[in-house]
Amino acid sequence: MTDAARHAMAKDAPPPRRIGRIARMLGNLLRMHVDKTSARILLVALAFGAVYVAIMGRLVEIGLTSQEQASAHRASEVVASNPRPDIIDRNGEVLATDVQAVSVFAEPNKLVDKDEAVELISSVLPDLDARALREKFSKRKGFVWVKRDITKAQRDEIYHLGLPGVGFLDEKRRIYPNGNAAAHILGAVNTDNIGIAGIEKYIDSHGLEALRDAGLPLTADSLKPVQLALDLRAQHALRDELEKGLEHYKAKAGGGAIMDVNTGEVIAMASLPDFDPNQPADALKPENINRMTVGVFEMGSTYKALTTAMALDAGKINLNTTINVGSNLRYGRFTIHDYHRSHPIMTVPQIFGHSSNIGTAKEALMVGVEGHKAFLKKAGQFDRMRTELESAEPLYPKHWVELNTVTAAFGQGMAVAPLQAAMAVCAVVNGGHLETPTFLKRTEEEALAKSTQLIKPITSEQMRYILRFNADKGSGKAANAAGYYVGAKTGTAAKIIHGHYSPNKNFTTFTAIVPADKPKYLVLIVYDEPQAVPGTYGFTTAAWNAGAVAGKVIDRLAPILGVPPRFDPPLRPFPDVPISVTDLKM
Amino acid sequence: MIRLLNLAAICCLIGSALYAYHIKYDTLYDTEEAAKLQRQVEAERLAISTLKGEWQAVTAPARVQVLADKYLDLVPLNVRQTAVSAADLPRKEAEGDEIGQKLEALGLGEPTMTPTSKGAGSATPAGGRKP
Repeated sequence: MTDAARHAMAKDAPPPRRIGRIARMLGNLLRMHVDKTSARILLVALAFGAVYVAIMGRLVEIGLTSQEQASAHRASEVVASNPRPDIIDRNGEVLATDVQAVSVFAEPNKLVDKDEAVELISSVLPDLDARALREKFSKRKGFVWVKRDITKAQRDEIYHLGLPGVGFLDEKRRIYPNGNAAAHILGAVNTDNIGIAGIEKYIDSHGLEALRDAGLPLTADSLKPVQLALDLRAQHALRDELEKGLEHYKAKAGGGAIMDVNTGEVIAMASLPDFDPNQPADALKPENINRMTVGVFEMGSTYKALTTAMALDAGKINLNTTINVGSNLRYGRFTIHDYHRSHPIMTVPQIFGHSSNIGTAKEALMVGVEGHKAFLKKAGQFDRMRTELESAEPLYPKHWVELNTVTAAFGQGMAVAPLQAAMAVCAVVNGGHLETPTFLKRTEEEALAKSTQLIKPITSEQMRYILRFNADKGSGKAANAAGYYVGAKTGTAAKIIHGHYSPNKNFTTFTAIVPADKPKYLVLIVYDEPQAVPGTYGFTTAAWNAGAVAGKVIDRLAPILGVPPRFDPPLRPFPDVPISVTDLKM
Repeated sequence: MIRLLNLAAICCLIGSALYAYHIKYDTLYDTEEAAKLQRQVEAERLAISTLKGEWQAVTAPARVQVLADKYLDLVPLNVRQTAVSAADLPRKEAEGDEIGQKLEALGLGEPTMTPTSKGAGSATPAGGRKP
């Protein structure tokens, strides 16, 4: 027997002395004697300390390692559901909302037989490209979409295929129940429910994206609905009349807007051709651009309202000032002439009523080139208009000479977005407050707080008077809807084709205010290249198309928007203007 | 005495441990229940918003207009048909003697012919006398 073996044997059978010692030690440990406590406490403290260290170690381990595993799933979760706030109109009607949709995804690294998976999935979803799917599956990725937005039946079928590594995610899908009605205002979203145009894009860039990036939980009820200034009924009626007009006058495109002149809210806005926001790909097609804010056009005689207001406000003319329009204005090789001339000497309202280019140009020249430029700048016609939607930069000659003032006086030689011109006309008639248009609901106080004074209130009243005169006796008769005391201005701009103004291709505009004595709404209708049709006697000018449509829109919408009809003309509609509209001669 | 106290303390310990377990599993159960309800609420909310969307699609002005044009013979509102205030409403016509009107309608309005003693024969229809 070796020493080692003997030693082991000794260990196996410990001598009785040792047993006694261990028993005594245990006895001591459990004895409740004061002198022994400190050692015991130390032992217990050490034991607890060890346990805590172990727990902390485990926590650190969890913190460091499990992150990677969790993140793949979390990423897919974030991609999958991007809830968006509902969009409602000013009366609470739903314009856009989220509904539940199911999407199917796969985790290629967990797929057992990729070819079988492709085959089986494409048997359920026949419109899927099998080759593209196989390619997707061959990548060493943890997560790929197979198809977004499948039906419940398809989901059940795929579920019953029992493929490992294929799963479903509940997603949100955006729907626009009103279809085309407010397409250009609402815009559209992409497959990930992120806004790509219109108000949808605005919502993303103003807060929603930041919230999403911060990783805050977004649920449908934590997102307050976005309320627009839009009135769905007005929007539909405007689009409907505009579309009928577009077909009737065989125009290339059309547009219209109804604004609350006192708050700058856009109550309705349509641009044709438009698209269905439920088919988001159509939103970005170039022919479907929003002609009211993204398109720029020469606004024609609508601009005469601005010129007249400017000259009146500067005190260069008053309502009785007479101007000689008998001879054409010549600037080098350019000649300014009038479409229809009756008298050689006209007063300011008559110039407006006959839509005299010469007269209006002379009014602008009285203010001078610098004064004219300053006024247009103040009226926001030289800068990009900042609304919730995208808008275009206006086009105007950078080198501005006297000829530019002459042509811009009657709306030629510079191009702005129609809504931008409408904004200035609103200021001209609402007492002079220039308010940036908004598509969101706003009160008059909020609008006034941010407005600038463009012209004096008295000038504004004179302009309302002139507009009423024009609707009563001048070129704006087309929209003089009975009972609503309309004020109006036509505008026809010949389009520039190959650098020359075309004789028969027009861009026509019609601006109307209801009611003229205390305006509440402004209606703007524009048509691009309307044709002469039976009933227009060969004319393609604004009164015959845009004007007629504006009249129909007012007739149809005034009762809906709460404008009371009056069959007796108001007693003193313009208290500060001495001559009544009816006494004035055309 | 001390042993008894120890025993009591151990019992308390076991009791509290059991109670803690009980609470823990109760909480787990309640949490699950709450999560289930939460999911239900979420599902209901989604169903509501889906229904709202559907309702809007069904009542969309463009759709209603097409249906109205097809099935109703309504004409656009004439501006003369709007009343701004109660004073604009036409007065309801005075109805007058309601019973009298009813009698008239039934052809019973004529004065009743009372038979007289001297013209008893006149009660026979005049047509019968004609030669």
